[in-house]
Amino acid sequence: MNAPDRYERFVVPEGVKKVSYERDTKIMNAATFTVEREDHTIGNIVRMQLHRDDNVLFAGYKLPHPLQYKILLRIQTTSQSSPMQAYNQAINDLDKELDHLKSQFEGELAKHTRDY
Amino acid sequence: MEGVSYQRFPKIKIREVKDDFMKFELRETDASIANALRRIMIAEVPTIAIDLVEIEVNSSVLNDEFISHRLGLVPLTSERAMSMRFSRDCDACDGDGQCEYCSVEFYLRVKCLSDQTLDVTSKDLLSSDHTVVPVDYSDTSSSFDNTPNKGIIIVKLRRGQELRLRAIARKGIGKDHAKWSPAATVTFMYEPEIYINEDMMESLTLEEKTELVESSPTKVFGIDPENKQVIVVDPEAYTYDDEVLKKAEAMGKPGVVEIHAKEDSFIFTVETTGAVKASQLVLNAIEVLKQKLDAVRLSDDTVEADDQFGELGAHMRGG
Repeated sequence: MNAPDRYERFVVPEGVKKVSYERDTKIMNAATFTVEREDHTIGNIVRMQLHRDDNVLFAGYKLPHPLQYKILLRIQTTSQSSPMQAYNQAINDLDKELDHLKSQFEGELAKHTRDY
Repeated sequence: MEGVSYQRFPKIKIREVKDDFMKFELRETDASIANALRRIMIAEVPTIAIDLVEIEVNSSVLNDEFISHRLGLVPLTSERAMSMRFSRDCDACDGDGQCEYCSVEFYLRVKCLSDQTLDVTSKDLLSSDHTVVPVDYSDTSSSFDNTPNKGIIIVKLRRGQELRLRAIARKGIGKDHAKWSPAATVTFMYEPEIYINEDMMESLTLEEKTELVESSPTKVFGIDPENKQVIVVDPEAYTYDDEVLKKAEAMGKPGVVEIHAKEDSFIFTVETTGAVKASQLVLNAIEVLKQKLDAVRLSDDTVEADDQFGELGAHMRGG
């Protein structure tokens, strides 16, 4: 009867920001990004991409609770970069990787459908 | 501002494609990407499924909610789903059907008039849109199978029983309800790399070799009938069970076989419910993942709010 709507798992409520950013007060070049209505799918790929960045000293994510539909992503970088720059870079790189993956897949598929 | 790019260039090799099944290799990327694609194929690629049922007459043995649930689980052809709207985002309608952007209407009107049991199947569902219909599972590719296709049974009626209803199908994702999942199974495995130490293998007798080969629960190894050498028959049959390695150790020959998982190579198998083609499912998954990444980009006001602390930031950085 009082069950929450199922769509609450993936629809960002009105007035809530998809991504919010909070700088760490004690550590230089460290920040926490709160991403609403996302899970391991996004959390893990962004984290692994950040690990490829030489300026990133720490990158980790957590899903605080299975019924809180958000993830926390924490990044610390060297003074050569900033958490925000690293985050943007990681997303751009992943986006380009997926573009590449898509064209690769389409190319392979065209080869296979021709063989039929 | 622009840093160096750490982009990867993954490779794909398709091994097999059928309408509802495919197998491919994904290389030069890591498990996070493979797993993200798998998770999205199962739970976030949209399809169309019956979501609302108005029952006019139901004198069958199954109750209304039971029939509604069964109708929801019938796979519908969903090529159009990617370009459709979710009914909650649809401005053009109030979300109760008859809207070309977000819903499809179905009718089911069946009455049994004979003494023989009447099967009500997915074929009795009449769609208002010819692109969204119950999936046809008659296999046209195999000629030897000529059993007539009857569709998915919804309920059975005896003489005098009747079922009359209107149903509305909507776009949705598997995360909301499993009836919207286009995937039957999506799996990936690491590609195994198997080395046989030939010198050590030479020191084994034929019986010991046979014993080693047979210690594996799946047929990974075999013995060459010509020269009685142990050979790898099918590396992908290996289930990472370690049985052969344990056997080698027990025989006092650790290292006679070495097996590694290639950390950047994955073998995917994708099976769909028929709602979309397997190849289309993979492409849709890539597209959905791109949209999700786009949605988590920092908005301009977040960046601005941080810039106000710019000076403080520079100070903290020791500038």
